[in-house]
Amino acid sequence: MKIVGILFILLFCFESKSNINFNAKSTTLENGLRLIVVENPRAPVVAQMMWYNFGSNIEQRGKSGLAHFMEHLMFKGTKKFPNSYYSDYLSKIGGSENAFTSYDYTAYYQIFPSQHLEKIIELEADRMNNLTLTKKNVEIEKKVILEERFQRIESDPSAQLDESMRTVLFPNDYYGRPIIGWKHEIENLSYDDVIDFYKENYNPNNAILILSGDIKFKNAKKLVNKYYKSIKPSQKIKLDKLNNPDLKTSTNVELSNENVKQQIWKRIYRTKSYNDSMTQSIALDLGMKILAGGTSSLLYEEFVNKKKIFSMVGGFFQGLTKGNGYIYFYAIPNKKVEQFEISDMLDKFIVQAIDEGISEEKLILEKKKYYFDSIYGMDGILKPAEIIGEALTIGLSLDDIENWNDKLDEINLEMVKKELKEFSKNRNFVTGNLKN
Amino acid sequence: MRFIFLFFLLIFKNLDAFEYKNLKTNSGIEFWFVEDKSIPIVSVSFSFRGGSSIDIKDKNGISNLMTSLLDEGTRNLTSKQFKNEMKMNGMKLSFSTQKDKIDGVFQIISAQAKDGFDLFYEALNHPSFNEVDINRVKRQVISSIKIDESDLSTLASNKFNQHFFKDHVFSNNIKGSEESIKNITRTDLVNFHKKSFVKNNLVIGVAGNINVNKIKKYIELVFGELKDNQQNYSIKQFKALSVGQKMFEMKTPQSSVLFGHPGLERNNENFFALRIANYILGGGGFQSRLYKNIREKKGLVYSIYSYLLSYENDGVIVGGFQTRNKSVFQTIENVKNEWKKLNKRGITKSELDNAKAYFNGSFTRNFTSTLSIARLLQVVQYYELGADYFIKREKIINSLNLEKVNGIISEYFSNEKLFFMIVGEPEKK
Repeated sequence: MKIVGILFILLFCFESKSNINFNAKSTTLENGLRLIVVENPRAPVVAQMMWYNFGSNIEQRGKSGLAHFMEHLMFKGTKKFPNSYYSDYLSKIGGSENAFTSYDYTAYYQIFPSQHLEKIIELEADRMNNLTLTKKNVEIEKKVILEERFQRIESDPSAQLDESMRTVLFPNDYYGRPIIGWKHEIENLSYDDVIDFYKENYNPNNAILILSGDIKFKNAKKLVNKYYKSIKPSQKIKLDKLNNPDLKTSTNVELSNENVKQQIWKRIYRTKSYNDSMTQSIALDLGMKILAGGTSSLLYEEFVNKKKIFSMVGGFFQGLTKGNGYIYFYAIPNKKVEQFEISDMLDKFIVQAIDEGISEEKLILEKKKYYFDSIYGMDGILKPAEIIGEALTIGLSLDDIENWNDKLDEINLEMVKKELKEFSKNRNFVTGNLKN
Repeated sequence: MRFIFLFFLLIFKNLDAFEYKNLKTNSGIEFWFVEDKSIPIVSVSFSFRGGSSIDIKDKNGISNLMTSLLDEGTRNLTSKQFKNEMKMNGMKLSFSTQKDKIDGVFQIISAQAKDGFDLFYEALNHPSFNEVDINRVKRQVISSIKIDESDLSTLASNKFNQHFFKDHVFSNNIKGSEESIKNITRTDLVNFHKKSFVKNNLVIGVAGNINVNKIKKYIELVFGELKDNQQNYSIKQFKALSVGQKMFEMKTPQSSVLFGHPGLERNNENFFALRIANYILGGGGFQSRLYKNIREKKGLVYSIYSYLLSYENDGVIVGGFQTRNKSVFQTIENVKNEWKKLNKRGITKSELDNAKAYFNGSFTRNFTSTLSIARLLQVVQYYELGADYFIKREKIINSLNLEKVNGIISEYFSNEKLFFMIVGEPEKK
């Protein structure tokens, strides 16, 4: 039960999302439920992931936090399997479970011994349609969620700065609203809000079920059909595609807090996404890795190794999004430096580095790493389900995923430079500074 | 860069089929190994006893600083060259200093094994410890110490260790302090490296797609040159853990509370009984009494947990939560009540049965990746759980009955021994 925020994405983005041949098999039921199976019988264990193709993006104005609230309430039981029956059952068989909500998707997963497959499929199907909630459930869980907001945001100045930067960068769409919701809006969410949200959206035609591990496609199909076929589809979610205006001002956000002992400079850019173009996004991703990824990047070499101004500096591109993607930069100065000075020196260096520092040799290295990472991505059963689920819910196809490395092969130095040049002219960004 | 065809083999259909090999290299280094051809990766998990518990006086944080420098270049390669070589070969290498040991993970794409193990050998045996790199990594550690100081939960955890373990070396911050880091010289690092990486304190687990002869050769290459050292790095027992309550004020809307209590060493015969008791109290995800009674029924916290920290000669039970300043003492009372209830009334038959079923059922999850297999092999050796542990484990669990577990609970769980560390500005009761 968590929120996919910056941290999650940080963890995820340092591993590349590419992969080679999951040999995923796919079918769609009449009611619209999509089933994907990745067979991997190495150990007698299955990972089940249920991905709903909506997150905080479908919340009405004034109801921020509703999708995440709903995610918590999905653990409260049904008529047939009341209260914590599902969680109790899972733990009795040695399973584990969790769930997370992002802007564009909500996902639930369980990892468990494969002999219990049928029951777990039944339990997940059951809670798509038969959740029973009491007003008391909703009231108590609201307190939990407020504590969660206080733990993640209100007690963490760095997270408050990120939240504020996003509101500036995405003034007209859901990426500017916190997934967990604003405090004053969480407080006003009601039992009826929750029930309506559940009925409207938790439906087979908004869902992708992924089973990975010790399972055969044929058997999965039979069982999934048995437990899901009676669930009626509903209206497909229609997402209003809102665009954000170009920013006409340069915005510097600053958060000053007495507890802060280490200054941190940050910047977020609004960018394209894999939905706009797979090839361009892979090129941008590779370019960003050369420029700002890890401890052998151009930025690190210049400012950490040579000039010794920062103890760390870096950045990454996150484009697995339905709407705009974004690029995130951060710098941790060794001694206090004014925000505008950091911005100036990074701006100047980035323009120069794109012209002079992006070499064929560095590109080959990053492509190799990208490719090897895709092999590591297959060592395990949950990760394939995560990669496939995220890519499909944001709008890519299974072919896009399976052929990812072919696209990677096509990328050349010119394409990378072109993406980076375009990026260096991007004025849609906001700069933040965390200080004492 | 074309397709890679993977042939998944049915290798671990049940526990009886889980077979590892106990191998020995030419110079006598023993390690446990599972050949897993399902994926073209080799994973090595290794551990050296010692860690920050053998840090030098006034130079706390030296173990962490030393391990942070191991991917910063070798006698032949600069930091930058070394990192490029790692990328080129799809190699992963990470070290982490713990209170009682240094843990390491090395992973390589099978086809690159030769180059990968060569690099691993150089990094472990011949790190450059170049002054320039030392100074850079020092600055990074100092930034990270400062970030920890302003992060409520990390600060609480450091304050907890400092006060709970009192005079024991475990009270020290693994990262050290700005001052102690500045005291560390290159010579200190070179000496500490020699002192830490010794053969008789090493355990290794390996899993992946590589054959027996090759892996023996590579393990010999990487670890064969290390010296033996008769010094004992076993940690001392916790003679005097704190009890009661300690407070550190910080202006923040929530307080972070950590609590501690004596526990058991990992290879104690009663360890599993305690593990089951803790699972029921605060260990089992959405199952535990702390979760159900304090989060689910009362909504006081987002997360609340307890876990066992079991080391070689001793152990502790540690738990924690964050809550709004107004409900800190109320939540502490709730934790104390759960503790007392457990101690007085024990657990029920159905709780015991569920917990046993959990521990029996969850074990196969260790077999889902080469890294998790390698880790398992390493951990079983580290705590000397026995060559037959994989067969024995289920028997140990199944032999636990209500009388036995409740006996241990009444012996170990005591409210008088509880310690609470509060960081924040809680409202008075």
